[in-house]
Amino acid sequence: MQRLVPLLRLPSLRRSAPILGLRQSNIHPCPRLFTASCRPAAKNLPPRRVIHDSEIEENFLKGSGPGGQKINKTSSAVQLKHLATGIVVKYQDTRSRSLNRKNARMILGEKLEELEKGEESRVRVKAREKSRKKASSTKKKRRKYRGLEGAKDEVADEEGLEGVEESAGTSESEAKDLAKDGTAGKAGGAG
Amino acid sequence: MPRLPTSLLRKAYAIDSLLPPLLGPCRDLNSARNELRWLREHVDKVSRARYTKGGSSAKGGLLRTLVRKRVSGGKPIGAPLQYGLGTEYFGDLEIEVRPGVLIPRPETAASVTHLTRLVRDARELPTELRILDLCTGTGCIPLLFHDVFYSVRSDVELRFLGVDISSKAIALANRNLQRLRRSKKYVHKGVTEFMLADVLVNPFADRARRPDEPLPLKSALNFNKKRVFWDILVSNPPYISPSAFRTTTARSVRGFEPRLALVPPGEAGRSDTEQGDAFYPMLLVAAIDAEVKIVLLEVADLDQAYRVARMAQGMQVYDGIEIWRDQPDQAHDGSSQPSSEFPIIGQGNGRSVLCWRGPGALWLGKNNGEASNAGPLVQKPYSELDSVSKPEAVHSSLHPESFMQMQGGRRNV
Repeated sequence: MQRLVPLLRLPSLRRSAPILGLRQSNIHPCPRLFTASCRPAAKNLPPRRVIHDSEIEENFLKGSGPGGQKINKTSSAVQLKHLATGIVVKYQDTRSRSLNRKNARMILGEKLEELEKGEESRVRVKAREKSRKKASSTKKKRRKYRGLEGAKDEVADEEGLEGVEESAGTSESEAKDLAKDGTAGKAGGAG
Repeated sequence: MPRLPTSLLRKAYAIDSLLPPLLGPCRDLNSARNELRWLREHVDKVSRARYTKGGSSAKGGLLRTLVRKRVSGGKPIGAPLQYGLGTEYFGDLEIEVRPGVLIPRPETAASVTHLTRLVRDARELPTELRILDLCTGTGCIPLLFHDVFYSVRSDVELRFLGVDISSKAIALANRNLQRLRRSKKYVHKGVTEFMLADVLVNPFADRARRPDEPLPLKSALNFNKKRVFWDILVSNPPYISPSAFRTTTARSVRGFEPRLALVPPGEAGRSDTEQGDAFYPMLLVAAIDAEVKIVLLEVADLDQAYRVARMAQGMQVYDGIEIWRDQPDQAHDGSSQPSSEFPIIGQGNGRSVLCWRGPGALWLGKNNGEASNAGPLVQKPYSELDSVSKPEAVHSSLHPESFMQMQGGRRNV
């Protein structure tokens, strides 16, 4: 049943359509409806830097030797050297040379942009955005656990248990269980 | 081959216990790690596919088997990684490979891509552009040409015919075509076909043909009702001479890839070099028979390139001949440029010979005097011009001059 779930989550599933199988299993009783909103596109990031072929020297690192039919190399490494700055990028992660070329150019572009624009470059803007999001999520997390701690303290006070510190782990898991029950109850109510 | 130092083996083992065996064929830690990563990715994919089909998702055994195959393969040196993984990248395309068919090489991809880009940028092209690929193997050259051409341009119909002597190769080429057709990126335009034929056999030779032998190229074209005239001929024929096969060819190639695709068959009274070049005269004759305007032939090195270029010059029909190196799209560093009779383009080893004539010069963007002398080019639809069994086509190879006149006549019809 569990493996069928993605199949059953179709846009035609309405809240009014009673599907017994769904009700019996512990799937969320109100399947997510089809929405037209998509993820917003990347916020106005600065444009990527375009690298012209005249700016760089490209090397396909290969063993010395004849090449062609006579050898069969698996390495498709690409090395780019930016002539003006001397930055060297080597990329060999994929088996496809054209993919390696693309990725190497992207990395070199990022490096060059960072060098040229500094704080205004794409990489930095992205990194700032990411760190901002992370900071806000950690803040939220901290707030949540502070709240849980407070609740736990209250419970401990009420029951008057001894050795709160020792049972900290268990009480925390209890709190989690409580929270889970809460959501389960809510969900049941909705369905 | 020098022995691998124990320290390196120990270092590899500390990273992953499967790395030390891979160091044998790879020789250095970086490429061994890459190969192991690719094998792992492949195993992950396979096990996921098996799991969705209801099988087990065990990975360890499969990975170990693949590593063992790569390392020993029943012979002193390992099988090529691509045979284990089942695919190889050719340009942007992932091409399926199988033992018994040559694995496509990146150098071929580089020259085919460069040729396609040149043709793609041409202002005037016939409404149907026909590309003949002799010794096609996995079918990679027509498929890449199709991909690169249609990624930008769509006003021209492309017609491809890949020819090979091995039925295994033809089956694989058809499979690759089907595989690409299923992908989202594929542009459903043009016609791609593959055909079994022998390029080397002279149709007029008075020797009895065994019933299981493939037909000679010309007979096969007639028999299968294919077009007789083509615009571009591309070929990556077997070009390794027997002595080079013994000495400079890598062991994994020698031991695991088909000799049929690497070394031309021997004949009594032929020298080593002549045997290595055996395909080129036949290919050049086929090019003239098919009235081809652009010929691209892959070669082993610069010496062979000179020999092939001289052969093409001897045909006295081409307006221009060039030699391309491994990366023809890069400007060469003028330092190691030997002064020669033919222009040499790009960087790396000598890799292919390009010949053109008539409208081919325009298609390649070579605006030398000859192209303008030819006058305004009126391209007739081919269907009016070539009947399948046109008798002149058979004899046109004998007299290049008369052939040129004939071609001129054809143009003015």
